[in-house]
Amino acid sequence: MEFLNSPKWIDVENWPISWEIGGTSWFPFLESIHVIAAAFVVGSILMVDLRLLGIAAVKYSISTLSKELVPWTWGAFVIATITGLGMFITRAASHVVNPAFQWKMVLLALAGANMAYFHFRVYKNIAQWDNAAPTPIQLKIVGSLSLFLWSGVMLAGRWVGHII
Amino acid sequence: MPDFFTSIGTLLDGSFLQSGALWALSTIPGFPPIIQTVHILGIAVVMGSVVLLDLRILGLAVPSQKISEMTNRLMPWLWWALASNLISGSFFLFGRPLRYFNNPVFGWKVSFLIPAILVTLFFHLMSRRQEGYWESSSKRLWSARGIALLSLFLWIMVAMAGRWIAYAEYIYYPA
Repeated sequence: MEFLNSPKWIDVENWPISWEIGGTSWFPFLESIHVIAAAFVVGSILMVDLRLLGIAAVKYSISTLSKELVPWTWGAFVIATITGLGMFITRAASHVVNPAFQWKMVLLALAGANMAYFHFRVYKNIAQWDNAAPTPIQLKIVGSLSLFLWSGVMLAGRWVGHII
Repeated sequence: MPDFFTSIGTLLDGSFLQSGALWALSTIPGFPPIIQTVHILGIAVVMGSVVLLDLRILGLAVPSQKISEMTNRLMPWLWWALASNLISGSFFLFGRPLRYFNNPVFGWKVSFLIPAILVTLFFHLMSRRQEGYWESSSKRLWSARGIALLSLFLWIMVAMAGRWIAYAEYIYYPA
């Protein structure tokens, strides 16, 4: 992973905007928005995940829940990504070699893959399980993986600050 | 800071609660980030329960869910999450009581948190008193919207202030 040690990351840290964020109240401001947005990502997907597990909101169909909640999850995710990038550029070179940050990116990718699997593969057979409670094992796996991976993203994200 | 607030800090400083919290934070590997994550997961439940309900009442989210049904279903999650956050937060509070009870931003957090809890509790209790209480007349629905707006503001400010504690304490922590 040669690119992780590239001097280009130092250049990123020296962008005027990186200095502006890192040296002012912009940083804690972005960080608090990041935490609220990240909590909202998990909070909004939580009801869908628990529904997939057959634990909560079973009176609603899975398609209705995901149709009404997942756009909020994406909106919050976009805000978390923008604020996250704002913080990232202030210490880019340290972040890319930070094991907690690397874990966070891997877990994010896995959470994304799990979501994609649900939407493009599992969702095809929606008619069979849309109102099901208890739910089939395939949905239980997707739901628990989502909970597990997003909690992992949070843990790794929080750990970034302890290592940097 | 009000005197009684700083005196709580003085009271906790050097107590067995402090030594217990500091022991856990410094001895158990990874305990601080793990317990902070538990705290943020609690905030995620706040977002997924009361904040989502507020957005529903304001007509912004989950239109297929009924306000009364949502309230009864989601509020227990909120109260459990708050209990969990009280415990996870107390490790840090007890560990360095002077830091928190002399920090004005922690004071702000508490002054957002108490009304947030009271407003939410009021909403929940009225909802339990009568099925569909908040939807039974247009006057009540408008009160619910006002409460939702206030609640949304208060809960977001609690989370916001919580994150700023760590930044303010560099300035306010008595050396």
